[in-house]
Amino acid sequence: MLSINNLTAKVEDKTIIKGLNLEVKPGEVHAIMGPNGAGKSTLGYVLSGREGYEVEGGSATLNNNDLLDMDIEERAREGLFLAFQYPVEIPGVSNMEFMKESVNAIREQRGEDALSAAEFLKIAKDACKQVQLPLDFLKRGVNEGFSGGEKKRNEIMQMILLKPTLCILDESDSGLDVDALQVVANGVNSQRDANRSFIVVTHYQRLLDYIKPDFVHILADGKIVKSGDASLALEVEKEGYAFLGKGYEEANA
Amino acid sequence: MSQWLEQVIAQAERQGAPVSWREADYASSLDALKNTPWPTRKTEAWRNTSLTPIEAKKLLSDGVSTASTQIPVIAQLDSIDIEFVNSTLVTDLAQFNLPAGVDIVALENISEQQASSFNTIKPEKHLFGLVNDALATAGVWVNVADDVEFHTPIRFIHHVQDGSENHTRILVNIGRNAKATIIEQGEGHVDSVNTSFSEYDVKAKGELHHYRFAMFTDKTLHAGGCHFKLAESSYLNSTLVGFGSALSRLDTDLIYTGEHANADINALYLLAEGENFDLQTTIEHAVPNCTTTENVRGIVGDKAKANFNGRIHIHRDAQKTLAELNNRNLLLSRRGQINTKPELEIYADDVKCAHGATIAEIDEQALYYLLSRGISRSQALILLNFGFIQELINDIPLTPVREWLTELLSGRFAKMEVK
Repeated sequence: MLSINNLTAKVEDKTIIKGLNLEVKPGEVHAIMGPNGAGKSTLGYVLSGREGYEVEGGSATLNNNDLLDMDIEERAREGLFLAFQYPVEIPGVSNMEFMKESVNAIREQRGEDALSAAEFLKIAKDACKQVQLPLDFLKRGVNEGFSGGEKKRNEIMQMILLKPTLCILDESDSGLDVDALQVVANGVNSQRDANRSFIVVTHYQRLLDYIKPDFVHILADGKIVKSGDASLALEVEKEGYAFLGKGYEEANA
Repeated sequence: MSQWLEQVIAQAERQGAPVSWREADYASSLDALKNTPWPTRKTEAWRNTSLTPIEAKKLLSDGVSTASTQIPVIAQLDSIDIEFVNSTLVTDLAQFNLPAGVDIVALENISEQQASSFNTIKPEKHLFGLVNDALATAGVWVNVADDVEFHTPIRFIHHVQDGSENHTRILVNIGRNAKATIIEQGEGHVDSVNTSFSEYDVKAKGELHHYRFAMFTDKTLHAGGCHFKLAESSYLNSTLVGFGSALSRLDTDLIYTGEHANADINALYLLAEGENFDLQTTIEHAVPNCTTTENVRGIVGDKAKANFNGRIHIHRDAQKTLAELNNRNLLLSRRGQINTKPELEIYADDVKCAHGATIAEIDEQALYYLLSRGISRSQALILLNFGFIQELINDIPLTPVREWLTELLSGRFAKMEVK
């Protein structure tokens, strides 16, 4: 599904991703952990095509299509979804209108008819209930005045509606209490199936108690330095990133 | 003086006043034209708009057909359509089956008494207003008698032809407690010069719904105006929409002559490529207890240039005036230019006034967020940036016009380049 080979990328002349390799097969859940500044969020931005994140070398393909050659919106239509760590607030554009445009853009790509307002409202209400947001959040401006946790749940709601094939969750657990964490995790788990894959980027092992990963990777200084199964996350939880060397231990303290 | 203006004066002298009751106006305007220095960039009223495209132009008009053209369609709009082509009224006004109390008559066929407000509402200060006084032979008078509510919109169409000069005049009288809707629609992109000036005399408790669409682009030069006089407890709802061309200017003036009158004015401009549009509004609060709400919003792309000058003048006796003026702009390109100057001039002490102007740019973060959800760039830009334009469109009471403008303006915006 996703194949990243020797990817190198920079932000404002500073190389952040330094030869990253990752292979994600359909249905798999990969967790990426790592200390601050390792390039975890950068990886999501680079794959999504964010301006200012420049690929210097290597390749990334999604379903055998060259991801790096596509516009931002084309990547989304190809099935890539990035749940943001800090979703932007957009006053003046209703959440409902935004998600309807988005769902219909992706349906069009799949050759499906656009949903009418009434049809969309029905599925939006269901998704809204699933992430336990009050229904008036559909009418409010996109993320406008939402708390940190509400923004994260709004991201998961979009994921449920868009039915992407590859979901990248960028620290979707940060700033959440245990209840909200469970809502986010349940949302993700409800979408797990044999054809949908996840990359769960997180700082802490906690989220992985709820979303069981098939693989855990440690990202440090722009590269994956260690891979393993779920037990690797527990090990990191216990030991910290000490094995990476002294600098990382301090960064994570 | 410009070569163009010299030809205007020569032609005006050749043709004379079109009707006897206009002789005095014609003579004084012609005289003023001869004595008015051609504006330069140092002339305050033209500081940000260049007259270069017109000053050396050859006066056009000779030999252009005055055949009726394809009238622009506003779907579902049931209106009385009156068309001007090449300074000529081409619509037979006798064909309309009008109710009692509603008259639509060619200007040259009305009496001096019926024309009593002609040139009393349009201020003398507008250069192209003087040109229009001297050259415009074609015009229409609309009269809605006291207590008559006329619901069918009356639409004036200025659809320009290549090589034409269009100088036309509209005079509208809304009687006491009367009501009417007037649409002035101008479209065109071919080589032509257009001055169309309209005056509206709204009597006590009268209500006017007014639209002016100055949708001239490319080589179509335009300098026009609409001017309103509002008597006691009358109401004006006006929507102005401008596109831009090598030279396009709209002067709007409003004077309150009776208390408790209100005006809601919404103006919009969407300028692409190298278009210029200059909107000037002056509101004279000459009496107490009147309310003005003026919202002016625009989007400027590429190398386009918008100029807005909005003046609200509150006279010494105009106590209890409420006046609000704001101008919001979105600049899509670093090469575009917006000059905005809201002016409040207040001589009364018990008034409530506010004014403001903003110029915003595209919010790149919000745009990225929408794109990352699969929404196309043009659609994302509409979602993010068309809302403040759509808000004013939504205020339009006439549904067919509202729907027509939504489609027209969002389509125009979607084609504008963001750089």
